[in-house]
Amino acid sequence: ILDKTRKLLAECGAQRAAKMATLLMFSDISAQKEASSLLCRPTSDDQGPVYERMSLAYSPCSERFTVGERSFSRQYAHIYAARLMQMRPLLSDRAQQKWGPDVLIRKLCDLQTGEQCCIVGTLFKRMELQPSILKEISEEHNLLPQPARAKCISETDELILEDELQRIKLEGQIDRDKCVTGSVIAIYGAEKNDGKFTVEDFCMADLPLQTPRPALSSDRFVLLVSGLGLGSSHADSMLGLQLLVDMVTGQLGDQGEQSGAATISRVLVAGNLLSQSTQDKDASTKPKYLTKKTQAGSVEAIRLLDELLCQLVASVPVDVMPGHHDPTNYTLPQQPLHRCMFPLSSVYPTLQLASNPHQASIDGVRFLGTSGQNICDIQRYSSMDSHLEILEDTLRLRHLAPTAPDTLGCYPFYQKDPFILEECPDVYFSGNAPTFESKLIKGPDGQEVLLVTIPVFSSTQTACLVNLRTLACEPVSFSAFSADDDEERCGGLWRCGDCGRWG
Amino acid sequence: MKDSTKEDINSSVTMTTKRGLITDSFKVVKKARNGVKREKRPPTPPPQKEPESEMAHEEELQRLRQFDLDWRFGPCTGISRQQRWERAKRHGLSPPEEVRDLLLQTHTGPDYNLSLWSEYPL
Repeated sequence: ILDKTRKLLAECGAQRAAKMATLLMFSDISAQKEASSLLCRPTSDDQGPVYERMSLAYSPCSERFTVGERSFSRQYAHIYAARLMQMRPLLSDRAQQKWGPDVLIRKLCDLQTGEQCCIVGTLFKRMELQPSILKEISEEHNLLPQPARAKCISETDELILEDELQRIKLEGQIDRDKCVTGSVIAIYGAEKNDGKFTVEDFCMADLPLQTPRPALSSDRFVLLVSGLGLGSSHADSMLGLQLLVDMVTGQLGDQGEQSGAATISRVLVAGNLLSQSTQDKDASTKPKYLTKKTQAGSVEAIRLLDELLCQLVASVPVDVMPGHHDPTNYTLPQQPLHRCMFPLSSVYPTLQLASNPHQASIDGVRFLGTSGQNICDIQRYSSMDSHLEILEDTLRLRHLAPTAPDTLGCYPFYQKDPFILEECPDVYFSGNAPTFESKLIKGPDGQEVLLVTIPVFSSTQTACLVNLRTLACEPVSFSAFSADDDEERCGGLWRCGDCGRWG
Repeated sequence: MKDSTKEDINSSVTMTTKRGLITDSFKVVKKARNGVKREKRPPTPPPQKEPESEMAHEEELQRLRQFDLDWRFGPCTGISRQQRWERAKRHGLSPPEEVRDLLLQTHTGPDYNLSLWSEYPL
């Protein structure tokens, strides 16, 4: 550990010059306090300082994602129709802004050959490698069940634009591999003689309007974490998880760190609280008499989660969003986990069981995000690999999950599409990403959004802290024993004395 | 596992057929249906409504069917006409008010409220 600390000190010396003095990071707050009081005689009980955690104004705005009575006796055509109905006027405005107010906006049935015009519709990408249940069960093809592919794109993919009545093939200045089915866009070009539409330019609905967020007086942080992966066969991340809980509840470190932890005013857990191994399919395929006495893997895992949450909610408000592996419905929007699963922690009013996607206003700063299923699905059906790039794309498309309901399970809405962004958030996040990435983007009407991809905690041991005042985001890592390491490593959370970086 | 249990069942079935049919112990009893059948025939159709209201009724239904088939308001299957009208109103597509008035009448039944294709399992 001494070698590592020396290495870090050497790095700090070089980085100190490059460090920005104005951005007040979470680690700086802790570093500003006086000299460490860790290695000293314990004080008597009434002399220790008490740090108050700020309680912030919180209002959940997730009514649009809660599904009341569930009727699956509808077709999915309604959600596509509602999506197009809602997005058409927005796209017409954008088209006029981009290509002039006198640009012709035509319906596909009114297209004339060779005329330069703009068409608005839903994209459809015909992919050969898209898993199709009909092909699998068809006897003509004699196909064996294929394993799930990482990417389903191929060279033979075709892009088609559909509006209310017709569809037309697209070619030209549009990157087919970056587009996904279900995105509503406006295209400028002309129909050539061969019946295909030649694209010269296209535009998306871009960011919606944003009400400016209130100016905050002091630094408050929100901790974002996802992919806890409880109940897995190898409990690698349990130490890291316990360290995280201890840090947030102020039981870690000396007064500097504790006062720093008091500025964390909320914790948001974005999905995959349970690990994938709790979702064993054996219980459904094995006959009942074999599985009668065995308990589902998720029961023990939920109990663990409840105990962990109980420690957290006693001290800080927590928002819990379900993910792909959690015991709630599969289709988006996933409903909040039921409070009967959390007997210990649901007693506290600080536990907020949220839906996926989740939208909330924390001290006036609007948070919107998902547990990552929408991003992973787009990653599978396009050539994009970076979760941050895909996140930005969904924001520019003004739609949380364009691939729903085509390849992503979704409830058959008919009134309106709740995944269309009506108001621009201030922080837009997605969970269960392979790495931590964050970016501040600007919109055409002066919007400012912080994009955050929250990494999977069970593999990266990293969480994110968002500063509500400055919209800066930084990762917090917890190291622990790792089976891959050859050398002896001491587990723990440690801070560099110089720059105050946690590691 | 499953296959072996199937074989067991099959063998047990063949064994019983060698010994005798189940109809040996439980005779087939044919019910006397002739009299019952005739009685259950529908009675004479109800007396015809007056021709004018009948025609107005038909016209209203025709108007509603036209509303169903209008492509501007999206698909019509699986939702009631009222719900479809409200969806069209919400998205600013200006659906005709007369359709709403027709739907809000109290004496109407499912042929007014449900869409054209509601009897089909779409």
